[in-house]
Amino acid sequence: MERILRHGISERIKDKIFLITILSPALLLLCFSIFIPILKSVYMSFFDLSLTNMTNPVFNGLKNYQEVLTEGAFLHAFKITVTYVMLIVSIQFVLGMLLSLLLNKEFRGRRVLRSIVLIPWIVPTIVVALLWMWIFQADYGLMNYVLMKIGILAEPTKWVADPNLALVAVIVAALWRQLPFMATMLLAGMQSIPQELVEAGTIDGANKWQLFRHITLPFLKNVIKTVTLVAIIENFKMFPLFWIMTAGGPMNKTTTLAVLSYQTSFIELDIGKGAAIGTLWLIILMIISAIYNKLLTEK
Amino acid sequence: MSKFNKIITISCLILFLIFLLFPFYWMISTSLKDMRAIFKLPPEWLPLNPTPENYVKLLQENYFITYYTNSIKVAFSTTFICMIASMFAGYGFSRYSFKGKNTCLMLILSTQMFPVISLLISLYSIYNQYHLLNTHFGLVIAITTASLPFCIWMIKGFFDEISISLEEAAKIDGCSRFGILFRIIFPLSKPGFLAVGMYTFLLSWDDFLYSITLINKDHLRTLPSGISIRYLGEFAYDWANVMTVSVVATLPILFLFLFCQKYMVAGLTAGGVKG
Repeated sequence: MERILRHGISERIKDKIFLITILSPALLLLCFSIFIPILKSVYMSFFDLSLTNMTNPVFNGLKNYQEVLTEGAFLHAFKITVTYVMLIVSIQFVLGMLLSLLLNKEFRGRRVLRSIVLIPWIVPTIVVALLWMWIFQADYGLMNYVLMKIGILAEPTKWVADPNLALVAVIVAALWRQLPFMATMLLAGMQSIPQELVEAGTIDGANKWQLFRHITLPFLKNVIKTVTLVAIIENFKMFPLFWIMTAGGPMNKTTTLAVLSYQTSFIELDIGKGAAIGTLWLIILMIISAIYNKLLTEK
Repeated sequence: MSKFNKIITISCLILFLIFLLFPFYWMISTSLKDMRAIFKLPPEWLPLNPTPENYVKLLQENYFITYYTNSIKVAFSTTFICMIASMFAGYGFSRYSFKGKNTCLMLILSTQMFPVISLLISLYSIYNQYHLLNTHFGLVIAITTASLPFCIWMIKGFFDEISISLEEAAKIDGCSRFGILFRIIFPLSKPGFLAVGMYTFLLSWDDFLYSITLINKDHLRTLPSGISIRYLGEFAYDWANVMTVSVVATLPILFLFLFCQKYMVAGLTAGGVKG
């Protein structure tokens, strides 16, 4: 009591006030435009609601979910999304590892090279989509020209309009933008490997593959875990590339969950159903990352 | 290294470089060609008669300038707000321990998982209610929060590295808590701030989904949504024009990157390797 009187307010209370002051701007922002909307969207998924009629929502229980799950569009979109995510993340990881191993070697100009390979990563996604649409363009696109010149293709292909190839086109564009980031992160991890460890391994007679398998990989485990999880989540959410390059077509072959829920809520204006898709999607993502964490911590 | 190995290594590296850099070159090269040169087969690898015509045409289009200024406005405001909020929060999480701190941090990071579209559905109705639709303020708030979680984690990593004894010394000298923050901590973590700022600017400049849903007045649109509405015809694309727009849309980010890529990479890897 005497101390409090002497110092005015006690140090602990001052700390508390200070802490609340500095944490609140970020937390308020997050609450206002992330936490509350997410809760609200889960809530909305139980109502019959459309964008044109927002004022009198009608509670309809699980009907939205029932519709979403029985119509087949959701399952189809889920399959497409999983195919896309698995392909892009695994290709990206293998190539990223290869590129970072190459950039980790000693050679002249590697510093410059390390920064210029990052360029695709800063290109805005919409520009990435447009650029690759131009390259994949059927009549005058570079891709068809080059592939025909080296004898892989016999005639021009309509990449983005071909049901079997549209997803490939999107994956190439996504890979172009995401590979530099993956490689840079892996490279940063590699550079933190103590040189003595590699030297000791070499003295013990380990070859390149053994060094990679028993020193580099275990050392990179945390980095790998972080970057692949980030890549999985980012690609699960990927919207602009699909929307601009294919808009979900042809024949719904590129309708991912992101495209489906955008179409349902903002084109068909069925908000309740869109929210139900979003909620299911969120649950799936949470399950995936829980399994993922478990798999990687058990080892 | 044997000669064979060396050749393999170099050719792999060259293949990677072609894949990563050629499309970028192709974008610039296309933007400098006229209509005839674009639709020539075999393609003109180097623009034989480079012309600034496409750029001149683009800069005469009023709406393009409007989208551009809107994007700059939104990106700078987002970056500013996000830097302040994440600096404060990151410092709090780094230096103070309190009940539920770890849960709080995990919760913040897990927001990165939320599918933006399902969030947008309700954000749209909330914005509608508070008259934030079709305002830059609303857009800035939405993009700021999209960037915040990662920024808080990134900057917290930087603060964790700064020795606490410096702060104690300042405290003995009679420095207030905010004084410590502004006079000691902030100047010391400049690389961290640049990383956070750059990350947010990139994210904001790249945003497509928020701006296309929260804004539907043409004069308020930002670059990505403006481009998608204005330049994407159903069938015929004016590719020279589209590539010119693309180059100009990439320029600010490219300059920013060239100036602070060192900090950018340091920040990302510090946050990512630890997180």
